[in-house]
Amino acid sequence: MLEIKNLHVKLAEENRAILNGVSLAVKAGEVHAIMGPNGSGKSTLSYVLSGREGYEVTQGEVLLRGEDVLAMEPDERAAKGMFLAFQYPIEIPGVATMQFLKVALNAQRKARGEKEISTPDFMRLVKDRANKLGISQDMLKRPVNVGFSGGEKKRAEILQMAVLEPSLCILDETDSGLDIDALRIVADGVNALRSHDRAMIVITHYQRLLNYIIPDFVHVLSNGRIVKSGGKELALELEAKGYAGLAREAA
Amino acid sequence: MNVAVNKTPAELAYGGILLPHARMEDWRWTNLRVLIDRPYPPRLPVDARSEDVARLLKASPFTGVARARLVFVNGEFDAKHSTLPASGDIEFSLPARFAPASDEPIIAMNQRFATGGGYLRIKPHGNIDAPIEFVLIATEDVPRTIATRHVTEIGDGASATVIETHLGHGAYLSNTVTEIRLGEGARLDRVKAEIESAKAIHLSHAHMTLGRDAVLRDFTLTTGARVSRQNGTCEFRGQGADARISGSYLLSGKQHADTRLVVDHCVPHCISRELFKCVMDEDARGIFQGKVIVERDAQKTDGKQSSHALLLSSSAEFDAKPELEIYADDVVCGHGATSGNIDENHLFYLRSRGIPEARAKSMLIAAFVGEAFETISHDGVREALTDLAGNWLTSRRSGK
Repeated sequence: MLEIKNLHVKLAEENRAILNGVSLAVKAGEVHAIMGPNGSGKSTLSYVLSGREGYEVTQGEVLLRGEDVLAMEPDERAAKGMFLAFQYPIEIPGVATMQFLKVALNAQRKARGEKEISTPDFMRLVKDRANKLGISQDMLKRPVNVGFSGGEKKRAEILQMAVLEPSLCILDETDSGLDIDALRIVADGVNALRSHDRAMIVITHYQRLLNYIIPDFVHVLSNGRIVKSGGKELALELEAKGYAGLAREAA
Repeated sequence: MNVAVNKTPAELAYGGILLPHARMEDWRWTNLRVLIDRPYPPRLPVDARSEDVARLLKASPFTGVARARLVFVNGEFDAKHSTLPASGDIEFSLPARFAPASDEPIIAMNQRFATGGGYLRIKPHGNIDAPIEFVLIATEDVPRTIATRHVTEIGDGASATVIETHLGHGAYLSNTVTEIRLGEGARLDRVKAEIESAKAIHLSHAHMTLGRDAVLRDFTLTTGARVSRQNGTCEFRGQGADARISGSYLLSGKQHADTRLVVDHCVPHCISRELFKCVMDEDARGIFQGKVIVERDAQKTDGKQSSHALLLSSSAEFDAKPELEIYADDVVCGHGATSGNIDENHLFYLRSRGIPEARAKSMLIAAFVGEAFETISHDGVREALTDLAGNWLTSRRSGK
């Protein structure tokens, strides 16, 4: 599904290298966790994958089903099935949530040459997905993320994911700012989307989230490089030894 | 060179009317001596071709709204294309009972050149549901001054929605002066759509007076004309009145739009709100000048004004001049002005969900101006103008 090959990235403005040769292959049906200390480059990786401006790829490539992701606009990437659940979902005053979701879904369908969804079908789809995530009709009536608590914003991200049904989900620190109940709801929402034709990259600082979203693979990112990869037990090892201990071993 | 003495060709054509210049405080950003680059002689009576009128009428954003329609073509009432309101509570006659002369340049010009106008009156306690639209159309290709003068009177306890749509073809100068009087407890929802020809000059003056407990909701969309200057004065004559005056600019190319509003709190316990959300692209220039006067006796006045600009290009410009002149000591007044670009984080968020850039931008522009559009109470009218705003960026990019 996704191949990241020797990816080097620097911040365009500061001329500072953030990623120093990340390589990762993610197959359909797999869940990969990327863990690492603050400043290791986790969020940069998610932003580069989704096409945010401000980053310069100096070396390497990213392929989504064999296609060059880095040459695509952010909206093309989304239409090709990529979805980033933001660490800090932003509020967009004046843009109604339902309108936003419908425009996004139909834009993606149109880009893929599919038929637009009818309004009744769309309403049913959103209502069904929202119910499962405990998102009220009142929340759906508000502008995008406006007035939502931290937990509500994360749930709203998962709702968008559930409605847009991407094939590659990237979750950037989806657990940050969530209490244990909210974490469970969000994790249930994510788990419901796991399937043999969908891949997920779960970026997290703590092992906690991985108790709920069990990964197939765990990678440790440090100084812009994957320094260790393993199964789900690697997350527990990290929890015990800390990133510093692991970095020493890796060195 | 003494510009006050050396008359421009346009002024010579206006027979003694001195065009305002940049050294006059209210006109510092809109120098009509430069912007009116050639004479626009008074219109000659010309019969407009019916198909031209029909075509322009179809360009009204309100075609989908059930409404009465009062059409003025090239400065004269066009009965054939008008549909007079059916209600017995509505009185409409020609010409308007003109207000006294003034040395304000737009009014003075209008005084000299006005060829027609309408007098609309809603009888006391008449509640009119369907909007009444004044459509002001210019069809002449030859540069001409087309001036009309109108009076709208909402009787005590009466209510109505009155639309003023400005449409046209060619390089004309349109000058409209409107007098609006709200009686005690009257309510007027006024919506003005300035969608003149891209080559036109639009000058207007609206003088509004509010009686006791009257409610005014006023919204102006400015998206047409090469140069537009719109003056508004709002006078509170009775206590407890409430005026909300909003507007939005959607400008591109070298368009120039200037609004000057004077809200005069002459009596106590009135509320005024001004909100302008303006979008400028390319080399367009927007100006908002808002003055709130609180007279000595106007205690407990609650007056706020704000103007916000969204600049879509580095050469677009917005100038704001808020003024407060307060002589009473127990009032709540404030003003604010901001100016910025489309938020890159908002744009990226929408694009990351698959929305192409142009569409995402028009959604954000619509969201930005949306707050001002909320002033429009009539759902159909608001939706019609919201659609127009939403499509503005896309249609402009595809070479409108």
